[in-house]
Amino acid sequence: MKFVVLIKQILDPSGILVRRDKERVFINREEYIIGSDSKAALEAGLRLKDAGAAELIALSVGPARAEDALREALAMGCDSAYLLADPAFDNADVSLAARILAAAIQNLGGADLVIAGFASADSGSGQIGPRVAEALGYAQVTGVFDLSLEDGAVCAARAWDKGAAAVRAALPAVVTVLSNAYTPRYPNGARIMNAYRLWETTLWNASDLGLDESDLIPHLTYRGESFPRPFPVGEVLRGSPESCAQEVVMTLKEHKLLGKAGG
Amino acid sequence: MDFSYLDSWMEEETPEGAVEETGEGYRNIWVFSESFQGQIHPNALEALGQARELAGQIGVYVYGILLGETQPGTADELIAYGADKVLIASDPQEPERLVDYQPEVYVRTLAALVERFRPEILLMPATCLGSDLAPRLAQKLDTGLISRCVKLEVDMSQRLLLGSCPVMGGEVYHTFDCPTARPQMATLEPGYFRAPYKDDYRSGEVRQVDVDLSEAAAELVWTGVQESLPAIPVPLCKQRVVVSAGRGMEDQDGFALVERLAEALGGVAAGSRGAFEMGWIPEERIVGVGGELIAPDLYVACGLSGDIHHYFGVQDAKFIVAINPDEQAPIMKAANLAVVGDARQVIPELLKALSL
Repeated sequence: MKFVVLIKQILDPSGILVRRDKERVFINREEYIIGSDSKAALEAGLRLKDAGAAELIALSVGPARAEDALREALAMGCDSAYLLADPAFDNADVSLAARILAAAIQNLGGADLVIAGFASADSGSGQIGPRVAEALGYAQVTGVFDLSLEDGAVCAARAWDKGAAAVRAALPAVVTVLSNAYTPRYPNGARIMNAYRLWETTLWNASDLGLDESDLIPHLTYRGESFPRPFPVGEVLRGSPESCAQEVVMTLKEHKLLGKAGG
Repeated sequence: MDFSYLDSWMEEETPEGAVEETGEGYRNIWVFSESFQGQIHPNALEALGQARELAGQIGVYVYGILLGETQPGTADELIAYGADKVLIASDPQEPERLVDYQPEVYVRTLAALVERFRPEILLMPATCLGSDLAPRLAQKLDTGLISRCVKLEVDMSQRLLLGSCPVMGGEVYHTFDCPTARPQMATLEPGYFRAPYKDDYRSGEVRQVDVDLSEAAAELVWTGVQESLPAIPVPLCKQRVVVSAGRGMEDQDGFALVERLAEALGGVAAGSRGAFEMGWIPEERIVGVGGELIAPDLYVACGLSGDIHHYFGVQDAKFIVAINPDEQAPIMKAANLAVVGDARQVIPELLKALSL
């Protein structure tokens, strides 16, 4: 069996402070990490690998610094890692990233199961899984929190319409996992050292993947940023319990804080 | 008076056989109307309302798209909620094919419709189904998709759809457009758009479209229904909504109120060390130093003073509501909304206001 896990390196969200009132994003600490969703995908892949004999391959599209993320993936237990980097990929949007990843998976000779995060912690569009699935013609299951393999099919429990549902998809398939469903393992020290000293990541550029300039035109254009309305600060409500309660519920509704169930 | 010229003019406006079939250009706004057993998903109605507004700006028709829907009332309902036309796609050979959600079959059906009728804009609600289907369809059609939009506008100078979607945990919105590829696709975050009013006197056209699904393979088997599976167990530190109790809740009945509030808000109940000592919560539900450090979107502190040991655990919460009779309590100073009052009286009123 060959499993591929898709990894996205992101700017550590805990180093970013957004001031809605000042309408500015402050980057206090510029550190790049594996996003929590990709880590969950890694963990899901490693658990499947532990359960049965399989090869686990990590793939990442990104600049040269994404190699760090791949070495961490190696340390956690991946067998090999491929960095898909090229100056032509710099302005890639999610549709291009999907095409690049799909080309890489085809270069690897296809995969039985591709695992990705459901939505990354930075852009969080949740598109990569289904887009890769379509590009490869694989089946897809998104928003998975429990995963197992059964003779040529993947059985998954997925979040579905405020509840959950169990589905079964024939391999090859793409699954995306929820970030809070898997707690990633910490790699042991020897593996961390080996990941930097012994093991190597492979670099593939556009020509290795058989992509040329005409394939690499992004669809979406970035047009600017805006901010949600700032929250009230230190607003004190006095008065009857009834009026206070109505005021509280109104404010929560205004700021879309109701109906945020789950994680 | 002879109005036949109007008819012919209207015909030109919707040249059924001419432009739509041969596809000179992309026009009209489509809404993928997710429905279950003839009931339209409320978030699909929100998308329909937004489509109506955009259509008014660029002067096109709104189409409701139904897949495999055989109940006649559903199409009429879409029209009553603002659709000008409804397309019902089904395979006459295998009418059952579109009942259960199958990504590949749905994508194939919608792609066939899009290629035939060429909509300018395609909107979908960002439900579980919509979020699963839309990116795959976008890849198939080789176009851009703006996910989970909280705001949609039209740039009239270029006739482009502008979608703003939350990034970095919803603290910033980034706006995108899709300048060349068509259709322009967007999914709409539930709860951010107003559902339209129902007007039973609206009339529109309903059209059956046959699609051939004989080649599409259904690769997904739905083995379990929703009720049979427990939802994901989420640890306290990753919960989006946490309602905490302090000693101010006084007794078990007071804590029961907190639990009910947590349920109504879609979160979990936790508490201060005081609540743990009273035996209301297990040790892993203590918030603060020595317990859990949490950063939920909404934190409600009921009857707890929030001294530094507790507050340290919730300082990263996005929005704090504190309910305490003592206005000088530390948590009241840190809260976004501070309610001066006894939580045992305020919570029942909150539950009442939430159920409205």
